[in-house]
Amino acid sequence: MAKNGKVKLNRRDFLKIAGVGAGASAVAAVSKPAAAAGTSNRGGTFSDPAGRPKRPWWVKTVDEPTTEIRWDQMERYNERTGTVRGPGFASYVGDERADELSKISDDMELQRLLDNVPGYTLKDHALSDAHRVRVGRTYLGPQGAPTPEERGVPKWTGSPEEAARIIRAAMRHIGAATVGFVELDENTRKLIYAVDPDGKELIFTDEKEAYETEDARYIPNDCKYAIVFTVQMSEETLKRAPTVLASQTTSLSYLRGEQIQASTQEFMRALGYQCLGESSTNALGIAPAFGVMAGLGEMSRLNRLVTPEFGPMVRVFKMLTDLPVATDKPIDAGIMEFCKRCKKCAEACAPGALSFEDEPSWEVRGEWNNPGHKAYFEDSIACRTWQRTDAGTNCGICFAVCPFAKKDKAWVHEWVKAGTSVAPPLDNFFRSMDDAFGYGVQKDNEDWWSLDLPEMGIDTTAPVMEV
Amino acid sequence: MAEEKIVLEIKRRPWYAWLLWAVWFVLLVFLAQNALASGAEIEPRATMIFWVSFAVVLVAGGVVWFVRNNE
Repeated sequence: MAKNGKVKLNRRDFLKIAGVGAGASAVAAVSKPAAAAGTSNRGGTFSDPAGRPKRPWWVKTVDEPTTEIRWDQMERYNERTGTVRGPGFASYVGDERADELSKISDDMELQRLLDNVPGYTLKDHALSDAHRVRVGRTYLGPQGAPTPEERGVPKWTGSPEEAARIIRAAMRHIGAATVGFVELDENTRKLIYAVDPDGKELIFTDEKEAYETEDARYIPNDCKYAIVFTVQMSEETLKRAPTVLASQTTSLSYLRGEQIQASTQEFMRALGYQCLGESSTNALGIAPAFGVMAGLGEMSRLNRLVTPEFGPMVRVFKMLTDLPVATDKPIDAGIMEFCKRCKKCAEACAPGALSFEDEPSWEVRGEWNNPGHKAYFEDSIACRTWQRTDAGTNCGICFAVCPFAKKDKAWVHEWVKAGTSVAPPLDNFFRSMDDAFGYGVQKDNEDWWSLDLPEMGIDTTAPVMEV
Repeated sequence: MAEEKIVLEIKRRPWYAWLLWAVWFVLLVFLAQNALASGAEIEPRATMIFWVSFAVVLVAGGVVWFVRNNE
């Protein structure tokens, strides 16, 4: 109503405008592109002096990991007794059986190629082959970067918090998803292998400089800070497991981990410090264990690291340095507790290799397991056999079905993760809803080639969840 | 001429009605966000469930509003 040229709003009109405005704002927020929403909190400065990401309230830092460990019973592991590399698998099933399984796998691969089976077609194999290029993994690093001494300047110095922060910033820039640090003490030192996959012993020494011989790799006692980092896998891609198309995202992550390691080793060298890396894939130490101790995630029923941010959709790597850094503590995000009730991975595991026990156990299932911690130990032989006879790949079904393997666009995922952390009695309900909503169902392999996915199939703006 | 009287009855909405409408609105926003985001996440079943839920809650609110308005 206009009076004397002034427009006056009555209470009814004001409330109408306010309601419409609120509704419009809500719709705008809802329809805001997810990527843009993901960037709204990104690009700020670290609030923590050591550069630790600010995690949601329901991710609690704890003194002891959610995996119980009897350090006095744990010994450094000989990685050649595992089932993945070296003589491990053949030593358990016999050379003849191992050869037979290899032939079955090769024949099946050829037949699937000829039959153009989705997920196993020539283009899927070609994509997997694209990741065969190698940057190279070396224990001592490429050693190409000039040291401060060669430059004629003092080495970099700073507080442990500063050191952790610049390493995190550098590694995030190079491509790591999350970074954590663990100090090697009399306990955590046991997470370093006794023998590397290539048969070389890993020996701690009082000498200041690391070196390696034909038989051994020598780790200076000063190199007592483990740099642990994760690399994302494409959750969208691995949901096609167990095909070649799905498993190549694993290969890509390992390739990226290799490049990140080499670049970080050069970065540390240029600062004036040593950085000892994995001499081959998954060498040096127990990756999931280091991930747990560095607070990057928790152990799980599928016996791999499950992170609050990406679920199991990560690969974990580690290096050792003599640059003192601020270390991290384990976390409790309700993941291990959820695993007690969920069992979705065990149900989905075709060869039945995963444990169905309600509680984790101290009892190992074979020499491929490392005793001294309470876990859902797996039957690795069954797993690796099925990979050869049926999957034709390193499978990954357990990763794909895990309820924690989610993107971060829908609000409900964070609510559910928070709920699993603070209200374990609701875990069964959440598991049921995960099934009802169709999460974890294998996706179409041919459709993948028509998707407009982000770079590497991952969201690189989401290192941590929004708070 | 007899006087004509028109009686207007003004009902003030009670506080709990406001609260319930606010909850309804928040629920709509929640369901819409999850529906749109599930589509972006390429989760078709979740997208469908959230949209159906959104539609049900929207229609339910509409029905309640219509019925109360005509009481």
